[in-house]
Amino acid sequence: MTSTTSTPLSAAGRPQPSAARAGHRTRRRMRKDLLRSRIAAWSAVAVIGAFGLLPVYWLLATALSTPESTFQFPPKLIPTDLTLGNFTALAENDQLIKYMVNSLVVASVTAVLSVVVATYMGYSFSKFRYRGRRSLMHLVLASQMFPQALLLVTLYAVFSSFGMLNTYTALVLSFTTFTMPLCVWMLKGIFDTIPDALLEAAAIDGASRWRTLHSIVAPLAAPGMIAAGLFAFVRGWNDFIFALTLADKEKQTLPPGLVSTYIGEFQTAWPQLMAASLVVSVPVIVAFMFLQRYLVGGMTAGSVKS
Amino acid sequence: MSTAAPPQKAPPPRRRTGGRLSNGAFALLLTAPGLALFAAIIFYPLLSALFTGFFEQDLRLPGREFVGLDNFAYWLDGDLLAILEQTLVFTVGATLVPFVLGFALALALNTGLKGSGFLRGLFLFPWVIPGVVVSFLWMWIFNANYGVLNGVLMETGIIDESVAWLGRPGTAMLAVIVTKTWASFPWMMVMLLAGLQTVPKELHEAASMDGAGSVRRFFAVTWPQVRGVASIVLLLEFIWNFQHFDTIYVLTGGGPAGTTETFATAVYQTAFKGFDIGRATALGGLWMLLLLLLVAVYLRITERKGDA
Repeated sequence: MTSTTSTPLSAAGRPQPSAARAGHRTRRRMRKDLLRSRIAAWSAVAVIGAFGLLPVYWLLATALSTPESTFQFPPKLIPTDLTLGNFTALAENDQLIKYMVNSLVVASVTAVLSVVVATYMGYSFSKFRYRGRRSLMHLVLASQMFPQALLLVTLYAVFSSFGMLNTYTALVLSFTTFTMPLCVWMLKGIFDTIPDALLEAAAIDGASRWRTLHSIVAPLAAPGMIAAGLFAFVRGWNDFIFALTLADKEKQTLPPGLVSTYIGEFQTAWPQLMAASLVVSVPVIVAFMFLQRYLVGGMTAGSVKS
Repeated sequence: MSTAAPPQKAPPPRRRTGGRLSNGAFALLLTAPGLALFAAIIFYPLLSALFTGFFEQDLRLPGREFVGLDNFAYWLDGDLLAILEQTLVFTVGATLVPFVLGFALALALNTGLKGSGFLRGLFLFPWVIPGVVVSFLWMWIFNANYGVLNGVLMETGIIDESVAWLGRPGTAMLAVIVTKTWASFPWMMVMLLAGLQTVPKELHEAASMDGAGSVRRFFAVTWPQVRGVASIVLLLEFIWNFQHFDTIYVLTGGGPAGTTETFATAVYQTAFKGFDIGRATALGGLWMLLLLLLVAVYLRITERKGDA
């Protein structure tokens, strides 16, 4: 990904046969053009970058501030009395730790289940041609667009009648359904890149279709499967509305847990909430740093090239 | 689409290597676990929701009573137009603003600035962090008493006294859109950057050689190449925003005075605060109809792209 970003400059800087033919005037105009476009580019990066990153700075600054210094106005843009107290306070909060464990369990199981189910489905969509395939693919794609708030209303009634409210199962099942559409399309995109000839060769060598999928295709698609699992983990980890509604304090995950812990009726403990927010974000950020490349590739494969 | 695949009408080549199922049956078997999940968790609740709209039913109590179109009439005579209008304002705002920002940033990073790979990773942060964290952060920035936005605006003399951004009907929707914009422009940037990188550099150089300025080159070379990605990205974001819940619920809960109420928050509040699932699902049914129209458009566009 990064390697492609510097090409236009070096391409323009290199003496090219076409450029040589173009004469002095054109080349001077092109150089001026380049300069102008670079100034425009840097201005865009600076302005949008400020909008994108200053809030992040404020998140960090507040998380490292003492409660006293937070409640003064106007706020000090550069905090002077830095403290890690807000973070240590988190570790002493048993309820938060319970939310954290719930989040880890639910998001991990969601990731594994999503990948397994989506692998089979994506493989089916990629390597077989059968009646109804296109309709199924569209159904899967469209299902991620049904309004969750509406589904939740009746899903709540369904889980309630089966006595499944406040269970990991209810959370995992509902999360998986919403993570799967993109996982299926990501993995279909990955399987599309695996040549059919490879499958045919495996068949000629006597491998069954299951064996071909499990021991030949799956290892080749492993990076894509990891990316899909990561995506599902993040969706499960980040979900708010389902975890808020389908579970109470015992089984709730961190996002709704933070709301009930910190958003007080009278005064919100902002520095602690910001510290907790950072902690909640850490697993997601780490995951993205490692797998950014796959995720971007998968996303574009899944939703752009379709 | 894989080009090596046999055309749909011809019988598929049978690989009779141990499996007793036909290829079609095997392929369907692979989709079974996924379809079962979809049926249980999406399609059954969805159908049930459309049905429930015709009943009077309390979320906490068993049993229900058929009331015909009463629940629909309740919304049609009441808040439906306001909710629709507010949903559209939010959706259009939270789709177009991040698109413009994301596109500008993608174009900038695509010119080959030094460190643009690093910058791209850095700018992803707002999109990566959990939506609830985004809401908390902006709630704090917009805070009426101690918020940094009021602090900066007052220090620079732009405003004279603190503004309760989230508590005033005039500014609450704006604040919600800004928050959602912050969370989604990085995704737009990544997708559009991926689209831009497929534009062959030679095309730009050739156009430049022929004397096209940068604006001309944008519309003649760049835009036709990224139009496909752009339309998908816009439409997806539009559909997602049309049913967006988290940011609005945490920031304003639909208030003040219902001025940020959208379909998502209204359905949720009616069901889980008012316990009236008949009315909630009736509103949800109307909402679904509109969404299905959007989804149909989306499928038409992806379909065309798939065939191309």
